[in-house]
Amino acid sequence: MASQPLPLSQETLAQFNRSMAPEPGASGPPRRRLGSISTRRSSKDQSKDQPHHRPLSLRGKTVPSSESSFLSTKISNSHISMGRRFSFAGWHQGGRVSFSGLYLQQPIQEVYVENTYRMGPEPGCHFSASRTRQILQATLDSYLEGVCYSPDSCSQLCQILADLFLSKLKDVNPPRYKLVCQVVVGQSGKQGIRVASRSLMNPNTDNYTSAVFQNHSLFAVALVHGMYFE
Amino acid sequence: MDDDQSAEETAFVVDEVSSIVKESLEAVIGRNPYEQKRVNQWVSSVVEQCLGQLSKLSKPFKYIVTCIIMQKNGAGLQSASSCFWDNTTDGSCTVRWENKHLYCIVSVFGLAI
Repeated sequence: MASQPLPLSQETLAQFNRSMAPEPGASGPPRRRLGSISTRRSSKDQSKDQPHHRPLSLRGKTVPSSESSFLSTKISNSHISMGRRFSFAGWHQGGRVSFSGLYLQQPIQEVYVENTYRMGPEPGCHFSASRTRQILQATLDSYLEGVCYSPDSCSQLCQILADLFLSKLKDVNPPRYKLVCQVVVGQSGKQGIRVASRSLMNPNTDNYTSAVFQNHSLFAVALVHGMYFE
Repeated sequence: MDDDQSAEETAFVVDEVSSIVKESLEAVIGRNPYEQKRVNQWVSSVVEQCLGQLSKLSKPFKYIVTCIIMQKNGAGLQSASSCFWDNTTDGSCTVRWENKHLYCIVSVFGLAI
């Protein structure tokens, strides 16, 4: 993530900070302009029903002018961490902020997600290991029937299978569950192989399941973990 | 400054995790050849050591550690993973390791809570 080029030029940032800096007695709400950047990130995560804490480094802080350059670095760093999801087209086109520091459009309102006070998954909404295993097994059997191992195609096959499992499981996935799906495909030779996994999780809410397929030329192991997002 | 530090403390640091994994692989397997009887124990030890070291980091993460050990016999092996998670807070690290007699792939997934 850190290798992406800085999206804003230093000059642009310096100008922006100069426009923001000279307001020592400013109250909370005007500072939220910086928070408008973080809003677009948090809107993506709204589905998780979580007040999004991570980009809070920019939110609600009074910025003395001496710290403005520090904040500019922070802006660019947190932009980097968001990578692809935040479009900078607006900055480059000048669609959002003019160089005088005035917003040309309405600033995006900060969206606060209310606390759900939920301590665990709802009854009946747990990660179902048996149903997941059925899906995995059926998909493996249907997809790999009669397939021969070849080094060129099987690397793509492996990735396609992993994405396929994920798309199928997302439909039956209970809310607030994160999924990790791993697929291992190997050539059926006379070698020995061992696949094992262990996890640090909450056994009341989290679970895993696996499925195996084998034919004359290849074997495949699919492993799916469902983790409750607290 | 505080937010910066707390962001580092709660982020999934790939370098840190991969060094933990490499250390445990060197310690458990080292230069041993593939032995059918011992591989079960190796896999358990590698995974347990990794998990132990990861939990000592005291980060707010749930971890999944997967280990594959395969004998070097000329056969091919592919591994892929896909995850449905939050890209900003969660991360993974895969370490490929080998010695003269076996291949080992260890994947660590960290999901923020």
